[in-house]
Amino acid sequence: MTAALSDIFLSVLPGEIHAIVGENGAGKSTLIKVITGVYQPDAGEILHDGKPVTIRNTHEAQGLGIAAMYQEPMVFPDLDVAENIFISHRNIGVLMNWAKLYESSEEVISRLGVTLDARRAASGLTLAEQQTVEIARALSLNVKVLIMDEPTASLSAHEVERLLSIAKALKARGVAVLYISHRLDEIFRIADRVTVLRDGKLISTRPIAQVTHDSMVKDMVGRALDTFATKTKANEHGDLLLSVENLGLEGIFRGVTFDIHKGEVLCFAGLVGSRRTDVGLAIFGISPATQGTIKFAGYSVTVSTPQQAMELGIAYVSEDRRKMGLAMTMPIYANASLPSLKKFLRHFGLIDRTAEDAMAESYRERLSIRSPDVKIEVGKLSGGNQQKVMLAKWLETKPRLLIFDEPTRGVDVGAKAEVHNIIRELAKQGVAVLVISSDLPEVMALADRVLVMREGQQMGIFDISDCSQERVIALATGQKAEVSMA
Amino acid sequence: MIKFFREFHPHTLRIIALAIVLMLTILFFASQIDGYFSPRMLNRIATSVAVILPIAIGQAMVVISRNIDLSVGSIVGISAYLIGDYLGTHPDIHPVIVVGMALALGSLCGAINGALVAYGRVPSIIVTLGTLALFRTYLVEYSGARSITTSGLPEWLVDLPQRTIFSIGSFDMRLTVAMSLVAAIVFWVALSRLRVARKLYAVGSNPDAAIIAGINSSLVVFVSFVLSGMLAGLAGFMFLAKFGNITVVAGLGFELKSVAAVVVGGVNIFGGSGSIIGVVIGTVLVDTIDNSLTRWAIVSEFWREALLGMLIMIAVATDTFMARSFGRMKGKTK
Repeated sequence: MTAALSDIFLSVLPGEIHAIVGENGAGKSTLIKVITGVYQPDAGEILHDGKPVTIRNTHEAQGLGIAAMYQEPMVFPDLDVAENIFISHRNIGVLMNWAKLYESSEEVISRLGVTLDARRAASGLTLAEQQTVEIARALSLNVKVLIMDEPTASLSAHEVERLLSIAKALKARGVAVLYISHRLDEIFRIADRVTVLRDGKLISTRPIAQVTHDSMVKDMVGRALDTFATKTKANEHGDLLLSVENLGLEGIFRGVTFDIHKGEVLCFAGLVGSRRTDVGLAIFGISPATQGTIKFAGYSVTVSTPQQAMELGIAYVSEDRRKMGLAMTMPIYANASLPSLKKFLRHFGLIDRTAEDAMAESYRERLSIRSPDVKIEVGKLSGGNQQKVMLAKWLETKPRLLIFDEPTRGVDVGAKAEVHNIIRELAKQGVAVLVISSDLPEVMALADRVLVMREGQQMGIFDISDCSQERVIALATGQKAEVSMA
Repeated sequence: MIKFFREFHPHTLRIIALAIVLMLTILFFASQIDGYFSPRMLNRIATSVAVILPIAIGQAMVVISRNIDLSVGSIVGISAYLIGDYLGTHPDIHPVIVVGMALALGSLCGAINGALVAYGRVPSIIVTLGTLALFRTYLVEYSGARSITTSGLPEWLVDLPQRTIFSIGSFDMRLTVAMSLVAAIVFWVALSRLRVARKLYAVGSNPDAAIIAGINSSLVVFVSFVLSGMLAGLAGFMFLAKFGNITVVAGLGFELKSVAAVVVGGVNIFGGSGSIIGVVIGTVLVDTIDNSLTRWAIVSEFWREALLGMLIMIAVATDTFMARSFGRMKGKTK
């Protein structure tokens, strides 16, 4: 039996931001689960303030001042911000003192240097705001070690800045921050030390000053990797495939106009909440547009259901794997074949399991999905591998237009490069790809053209040759003053 | 040893474990009840399972779609009573048409449930709790406190439970048992290989993802309720044939029994997974316990329901526990 983790030595000091990096499956999540008491180690010990401790569950971890914030924040949607912050407090008495609750909540939130209405219902919060709630919750519990697992994976540039400043604020208060991220540039900006894990083993722990980008990547993947190989030249574009004019959805977005050609990659940039996803959902027929026209391959079309979109050859890879993407209790093959089941029907309408397995198997190899076989339940795979299954599922529909929402959210550098290569390969084969991404370097690496949105409005569309990160940010935030931010 | 077991898929493991529990249960009762291993007892359990099995299969499909059908017992009652009543006045109808009528009647009841759940967007537990009472009350009103008796039924129906296709020693393969088994095999193949079945699992596993994959999830849920009703209708016919004397309480408590069979059989109560093989073994286990308890001198018959309730809880608790241990094991082997 191979161990998920072995011979890990990790020290975390008060007032330190300690980054942990590694590819998907390197053991980062397992390490966190051991520290927070979800898993029990088979060997080794944990010292807290110099004393050995046993952490049997998250409750005990909390008692020691250890809290974790995951990729997908855990908030209770039906409670408001203040209730969410104080949900684990035991000393607030039997009766709720609402006035005091809101007051203390606002005080905790202000300590983070941000503003958030304590009375708002959590269900209406953006992902970034939900994270703020989680951090505030930890802070209110006098956290000593805060683990942040991929906190910026789905934040916009603006929100990333805010999160990084929150992390620094925590550091200044003597909190040890364990910072896990695939975004290496962030790590160079805030980390004091970096620990690299690979295949469940500790590779190195070094002060940030002794680490370079290349050395870190090399430690992570075990070989030098040309990760950020940007595109060499714009793809040769084919015919016009999709033409959208003045598309709008009452109260959500309006005035979206663009063309996309066969073999072209169009990136939608903007902040989270800028309604880019809603445009994607409208084109795919999930929440159809109420204004404007869509022309597909020269014909005017109305797409009011996903079925119609799929018949046209449109595929939509959701940003939310858990909610809208995968059937977690079903095996890889069943997820992969779901939208294109028709192809696998044989006599009496029975599914040809052999053909289905062969298809799934071919994607497992082509996309290097790490799994012993295709009968494994998708819920048991790591995030990056789930992302690849989702991609397989939509590639199998042989789309002419692929809408890809946050293609590398929470995916490690190795897998990220793979996904980027797949997108380029698809474009080369003549597929039109619409990428919605909050990751600016990704936009710069992939796009032939960039469309920037802000608060439901199209702010501009331009060729990659006229594009700079600064220009995108300026348009996306609508604040010229922040241009120099990135 | 552990390594040997890890070779299997967790679902396969679950079914093997269930089969072992079934064998242990049978051995236990055999040690307690004289003459337990008689062909009579075997026939008795087999004909009893024949009635429950179709209901359990229907229930399984509904549960896989993330719903529950609590009205199956009342549908069995309606089907048994109305068909028996109709045969009293029209004794010459062809048996195949009679079965067809039972299926149609059940489907109609199922369609009411399905429409309210899938298109009315009312939670299934509420809808079927409502129709559980509504169907039963309709039956009570309709019957006017009369009962169906064997004397009012055509001869072929009264003889049906004794109709034997073939015999192995003194075990007789009854026609009703065969019908149930055929239904199980048909639905086993269908659930593992039909496109609509795959959609059923997808809807139960992740409704949002199913819609994005172009699946008409409302239709899928509707169909699962219609099929559940249809199979309950079939069970109603078998109930009528088996007992001959039908009162308004026919089929009372079958909802608990079918949910027990399904959950014990390893269908995920939160939807998205489960197999017919598991359901068959689960049904046999639940019904074996039920039938054996009536013959077991030490325990009062009234404990039967309590035991069913306990079985449901034990099964779900075991599954949760196993899922957690597997999660841990996976964490270690990764």
